Amino acid sequence: MKLSAYLKDRILAYVIFALTWVLIAIFLFTFHVKFEAVCIISGIFWLGAWFTEIWGYLRKRSFYCTLMHNLDQLDRKYLISEMTDEPEFYEGKLLCEVLRDSNKSMCEHIGEHRRENVEFREYIELWVHEVKLPVAGLQLMCHNDGNAKYAEQLKRIDDYIENVLYYARSRNAEKDYIIKPVMLKRIFADTAIKNREELQMRDIALSAEGLDKEVMTDAKWLMFILGQLMNNSMKYNASEITVTAEDTIDATILHFRDNGIGIPKKDLPYIFEKSFTGENGRTHSKSTGMGLYIVSQLCKKLGHGVSASSVQGEYTEISIKFGKNDLYRIQ
Amino acid sequence: MKKILIIEDDSALREELATLLTNADYEAVQITDYQNVLQQLLQTDADLILMDINLPNANGETLLQDFRRQHDTPVIMLTSRTNEMDEVLSMSFGADDYITKPYNPTILLLRISAVLKRSAKVSAVQNYHDVEVSTVKGSLIRNGTEQVLTKNEMIIFQLLLDRMGEIVTRDDLMTALWDNDEFVNDNALSVNISRLRGKLSDLGFPDAIETRKKQGYVLR
Repeated sequence: MKLSAYLKDRILAYVIFALTWVLIAIFLFTFHVKFEAVCIISGIFWLGAWFTEIWGYLRKRSFYCTLMHNLDQLDRKYLISEMTDEPEFYEGKLLCEVLRDSNKSMCEHIGEHRRENVEFREYIELWVHEVKLPVAGLQLMCHNDGNAKYAEQLKRIDDYIENVLYYARSRNAEKDYIIKPVMLKRIFADTAIKNREELQMRDIALSAEGLDKEVMTDAKWLMFILGQLMNNSMKYNASEITVTAEDTIDATILHFRDNGIGIPKKDLPYIFEKSFTGENGRTHSKSTGMGLYIVSQLCKKLGHGVSASSVQGEYTEISIKFGKNDLYRIQ
Repeated sequence: MKKILIIEDDSALREELATLLTNADYEAVQITDYQNVLQQLLQTDADLILMDINLPNANGETLLQDFRRQHDTPVIMLTSRTNEMDEVLSMSFGADDYITKPYNPTILLLRISAVLKRSAKVSAVQNYHDVEVSTVKGSLIRNGTEQVLTKNEMIIFQLLLDRMGEIVTRDDLMTALWDNDEFVNDNALSVNISRLRGKLSDLGFPDAIETRKKQGYVLR
């Protein structure tokens, strides 16, 4: 609370004080009151006026200064009403009441949205599980009838369904994953089998080295992540995918490398951003800019680091870093 | 013939599963009445049970738990849920395997045969005519002569042997190889098969693996 600003705000009050004093003086002179008496009356008047002002200023100052200071310190400004003690004076009490009420209403509002969000997500999960039944049925029918033509399209449908599911999961604040020791080799083989038809159609050679390592992660999520990376490699003309893993002191790092068209240097910092399509997305293949975004979000939730390096026309390498922190092992 | 009980409330899916299993030379039995699944389960004499997690009037996991208290018939859980939690729970309740829908039919069959083998405690030694097949040593032995097979050749021979007399597609062979972390391509598969043929013919079975054009291979 600045004194100068406060005085400026009170200027009308001072003008009224001055006018009142002028009127009193005129009145007193008209009745021929002695000059000394007028001086004394004026003195009493001004003393009272200044005293009121100083008292008013001081009691407000301590309250508002604390308030502003607290507001400055808070990173979640909406918590200010919790941090404020109710003052003695009326305006302050009103302010506190207003803050409390508006805060309460906002909390209810957020709660409502959160519930809606959770309900929506639960519905998505349910829907995904429902829609997987006919997909599974169709897949078996394709196999039983020996018709591989439809299987390819079904695989695409299944991939898109998974995208929705994991997007919903990555957006959610809840922990619906289980971190446990997972064999990298197993997950990679499962991912490869899932994509085998397409990999072979495009004649992509897979090689995996040093994947006999256990990492702490959620198997299903990791499988989705690797599936996304594999899809990207297929989309961007790779003919070789090499997956390796290395151990460092505090982490296991999985390198997923392909020899596809690579990522332009100027696009590289942005590839994990939502809806970023970049040059490749525009010129090469229809891209929604969601795949790697979901990957990075999932990695973030699982506590894995994810990074990319690439040389255009040579290779793209995505590295996922699994922490080896011993705390993880306590379940 | 091994008998497999299918518990899946989605009728289209159930029928297709039954067809898949029948084509693979299993006897498929279906449960169609979902009122008292546990009773029907307990009365079954099946060798293996395929069970969906989401069932009307029952939860697959509790059902599995109740069933496990009285029976040790192997159970493979089928589910459309892609949640690690379900898998961990199912396995802890005594499932022998857990497969997520939509499943690769070949993988499903591979898992079924693996679980059946495990439960039947098949010895590591099988026979092909008068040839001893040792998966542990990875070799074929006939009259004292031993032919060592590579890992890939063994996987291929094993699958052909399991389905002797039937057509095994290249696709099935490929899936089995990939399932064992051998990411071979089409050419490599052909090379492996011709090497396997060579080794079999050295043992005195020159025409053991018959090619069916555009269909696959049959072990005779």
